[in-house]
Amino acid sequence: MKGYRALGQLMTLLAPLALGSEGCQGMNTPIYFASPVMPALAVTGMDDAMGNPPRIENGVTLQFRNPTAAEQKALDAQTAALGFMVPWIQRDHVHIELVYQVTNSDSKDGTFGIDIDGHNEYTEYNEDIVAMTLGEGNDDPPQYIPLIPVTPQLLGAGQTVSGTVREDDFNEAELDLDAIGRWMAPFNAVLINNSQVNPIGLSMVPPNVVIPALIEVDVSFTATAQMTCTYDIRVRDDNDQLLHDAGDTLFSPTPTLFVPPAMMMTTN
Amino acid sequence: MAALATSWLLAGASAARAQVTAEPSAVVFPDPAKFAHGLYTEGEVGAVSFFGKAGDDVSPGFAVGARVGYDLFRWLALQAHFLGSTHQISGDNPLNGQLIQTYQGLVEGKLTYRFGQTSIFGEGGIGVERLSTNALYVLMVEPRYRVGFVAGGGAGFDYHSLSRHFSVGVRAGYFVMAELTGSQELMATTYLRYTF
Repeated sequence: MKGYRALGQLMTLLAPLALGSEGCQGMNTPIYFASPVMPALAVTGMDDAMGNPPRIENGVTLQFRNPTAAEQKALDAQTAALGFMVPWIQRDHVHIELVYQVTNSDSKDGTFGIDIDGHNEYTEYNEDIVAMTLGEGNDDPPQYIPLIPVTPQLLGAGQTVSGTVREDDFNEAELDLDAIGRWMAPFNAVLINNSQVNPIGLSMVPPNVVIPALIEVDVSFTATAQMTCTYDIRVRDDNDQLLHDAGDTLFSPTPTLFVPPAMMMTTN
Repeated sequence: MAALATSWLLAGASAARAQVTAEPSAVVFPDPAKFAHGLYTEGEVGAVSFFGKAGDDVSPGFAVGARVGYDLFRWLALQAHFLGSTHQISGDNPLNGQLIQTYQGLVEGKLTYRFGQTSIFGEGGIGVERLSTNALYVLMVEPRYRVGFVAGGGAGFDYHSLSRHFSVGVRAGYFVMAELTGSQELMATTYLRYTF
């Protein structure tokens, strides 16, 4: 009987612990950001006046708070120790994922593509600007090189497909954007190559670099049939840096728009 | 010689007394009065399912919970109830497949009617519920905040073991979530109870 009593008392002790551990899981649970309703990512499938597939884009700005005085002091100390700027919103503490759903409402099959751009607190990358620069002086169709390309997919008439752009895809894009913006990496080399397979162009990036996370995510959608795309952005915010307390102020950096110099146009 | 032996035996015998020969009265076994009562704790596992607006976007999920209570009388108890459950987002939306957890804490009253080793009970209470993510806000099911009031009640069946401390049972409850507009939840669990 003593054994039963001990079991009961153990159960008493463990039940709150079990619930407590479940509660702790909640400390790192994601926050979702919905895609803007206007403009909706919907295309008719009709080519534009230049004969190119229709494209539409919108974006979501992730609103973070400014650092507290103590946090700013720690950032300054880390900056002084490393010898380069340490970002406030860091890739190691802000984990981004994008989930999307595409519906083909047309009576014919079509192919869709999704490209993802954005900016961190230092650099903004816009594939339209890059394509425009690359297209100067020629009549070739625009060449889009996004931060994150989603492999084009064929979608049957009336069908719907869902997908995920994972955190490791964003990790790679965040490294690439920082390399382009702060460390003079050739943009097309780092964007086309996976750094874990071929770290070409990353030689100037310090090994102890603290990589900034994206704070705006821009999504471009193109399709050869009448389709709509909805998406949501999932953020895991390790250090509670997202803006949600009434007393916090909005972190509003002014990143520099990346414009590729013609000299950086290399082939791979 | 034989007469002498007989007289010796009779001389040593004690006086005869009357015996009660009526049938013994029926004994209740086990005696519920001997069951422990007072402070108790329960651990439970089961499922939680949403109805209403949230039911369209949240699948039923696994639940684990605990209660700590006190029997004021054999038939009346007050208890604190904590329950966590995990669910998948469903429906025709990009978040389909994402996980969401609910955490609930309630203060409840419980009425019990016992007959022998078994009892039935009804309970109800009010408390607070928290969602682990804002996924339902993004899906426009709930307002911005993830914490809200929850209230409701249910009933169950309890079976007491021959140990004076342990019993097991099943219960179900129906709760209204104030912050999830037009949403309710049904929870069904099985539990193990230990009374100190």
